[in-house]
Amino acid sequence: MTRSYRYALYIVLLAVVLAMLSPIYWLVQTSLKSPAEMASFPPTWWPSAPRFANYSDAVSSVNFVGALQNSLTIAFITTTLTTLSSAWVGFGFARLTAPGKKQLFVILLSTMMLPGIVTLVPTYLIFAKLHMVNTYWPWVAWGLGGSAFLIFLFRQFFAGIPKEMEEAAIIDGCGYVGIFWRIFLPQSWPVIAASVILSFTGAWGDFVGPAMFLSQDSTTLAVAMATGYVNDKGLPLNNLVAAGAVMYVLPVLVLFMFMQKRFVSGFSTSGIK
Amino acid sequence: MSSALTEVRRSAAPAAAEPVAQGKQKPPSLRQARAFYLFVAPWIIGFVALTVFPLGYAFWLSLTDSDGLSPKTHFVGFANYVEIFQDPLTISSLAKTGVFTLITVPLSIFAGLLLAVMLNQRLMARGLFRALIYLPAVVPPVGAALTFRLIFDRDAGAANGILSTFGADPITWLVDPNARYVLYGLVMWGCGGAMIISLAGLQDIPRELVEAAQVDGASYWQSFTRITIPLLSPVILFQVITGVIASLQSFAPLLLSSGSLSGAGTVPQGNYMYMIHVFAQYFSASRFGYASAMLWLLFAVILVVTLIIIKVSAKTVFYTVEPEGKR
Repeated sequence: MTRSYRYALYIVLLAVVLAMLSPIYWLVQTSLKSPAEMASFPPTWWPSAPRFANYSDAVSSVNFVGALQNSLTIAFITTTLTTLSSAWVGFGFARLTAPGKKQLFVILLSTMMLPGIVTLVPTYLIFAKLHMVNTYWPWVAWGLGGSAFLIFLFRQFFAGIPKEMEEAAIIDGCGYVGIFWRIFLPQSWPVIAASVILSFTGAWGDFVGPAMFLSQDSTTLAVAMATGYVNDKGLPLNNLVAAGAVMYVLPVLVLFMFMQKRFVSGFSTSGIK
Repeated sequence: MSSALTEVRRSAAPAAAEPVAQGKQKPPSLRQARAFYLFVAPWIIGFVALTVFPLGYAFWLSLTDSDGLSPKTHFVGFANYVEIFQDPLTISSLAKTGVFTLITVPLSIFAGLLLAVMLNQRLMARGLFRALIYLPAVVPPVGAALTFRLIFDRDAGAANGILSTFGADPITWLVDPNARYVLYGLVMWGCGGAMIISLAGLQDIPRELVEAAQVDGASYWQSFTRITIPLLSPVILFQVITGVIASLQSFAPLLLSSGSLSGAGTVPQGNYMYMIHVFAQYFSASRFGYASAMLWLLFAVILVVTLIIIKVSAKTVFYTVEPEGKR
């Protein structure tokens, strides 16, 4: 690498980083502007007097706490059930054989390519018929069914564990459930971590699901942020939108900063096929 | 990537050899088969109840004139499907979705690949660069869309602020015909996701291969096009397929980045794509039968497009290991 090439590379990369971070900068500075400053044109590049009251207003002017509770409940249901169920199914595909296994595995892999939203609407209609709309049951059902991608991740991990361990356990009279629970699951914490992070961020970020399946007053933060902050004329109160969005996005970004490796491993192994 | 593939093979091979190795035990014992189905049952039940059955239900609906409310529905055969091809709004929304896909999918894969190649070299603060460029891809979609609305707000947005410093008149971004550029910007903001996938692929390419070629006198460009790209092609194919599937069913970003958030009908024409139209048909027009037919058409389109991509790419994509499904 020549020196001038190296400098050019750094300049390009710095410009990209700047472009990637500037929207976040704009979100944060908008969240600190007073209504008067929001109305002035051209916009200021940093609020003349940062108004932190926007954050308390953002919490009080929509049912923020309630939406937060709903978001956390749904994220918790999704994360625990999806992770456990995917590990359970992944163990089956990794360590047990039966007629039809190969075909089922091919089906599992191809479901990763199924268009999710195409099944979502008819699923909604079915849950509506069962009077389970506006409850958490749909998320319980989705969680129990596991996620094809996470099943695949667990399967890959379990397949690499030496056979001797489970043979010893079988000799000791341990059943397959015991082998899964006592030997395999405790070893798989790297996959569990990736699974928890992926399913948490997925549930936290989901908009269409809660928008369809939950009513406006029992909805999640994602929906409340997108629809809640309007004045009596129905126009968005942008500084509150920004403050709410900062609070909504922050947990994910903090999680990302501390668990970067898990994020990346989960994301990049999705390129396996 | 390739290491993951070899792992599939490594783990699959002993599984296949198992009955032979265990010799005296009969091939997959009944006890084990029962255990296998006990373990995969949650997924099978979930797949049937939450995917197969809804798809079947939608297909049945698509053959009726159901409005979702009145109990009296009539069987209308394939009339809904015939209507799709006579409805200019449906056709134009499908065409817009196609154009959107053709522009954004290659563009973000290319941008991601370019960034990945740059950040696969020995550089100072490489990890920090990667993390910061990837960061927008983990911002929840609602947060990302709202952020872009704020940037492109007519009065308080940064875009018009920048224009005004050059003396240009403010632009109303969130309506036709400009809303589509905001959408493109929003999609490209997440291209760090493509970068991470390509980067993982690049890291799996043995350095010796590239170095050996360069010792033999290959230029950087030659080794890139003859070695790196072919070895990366399965990863690129994966991104094309998942990207196209995701893009054809785009919904939330369109609704959230333009539109008044109160309904699918408020999305500007330029961003009025197929799934937006489907939702409008379901929940604004209460045409459950017709909307279900539209869903099935999208399902078929995605299936056919995926198969075409796989077929066309079969000659150009280079697998170091046979993909598992083929064996």
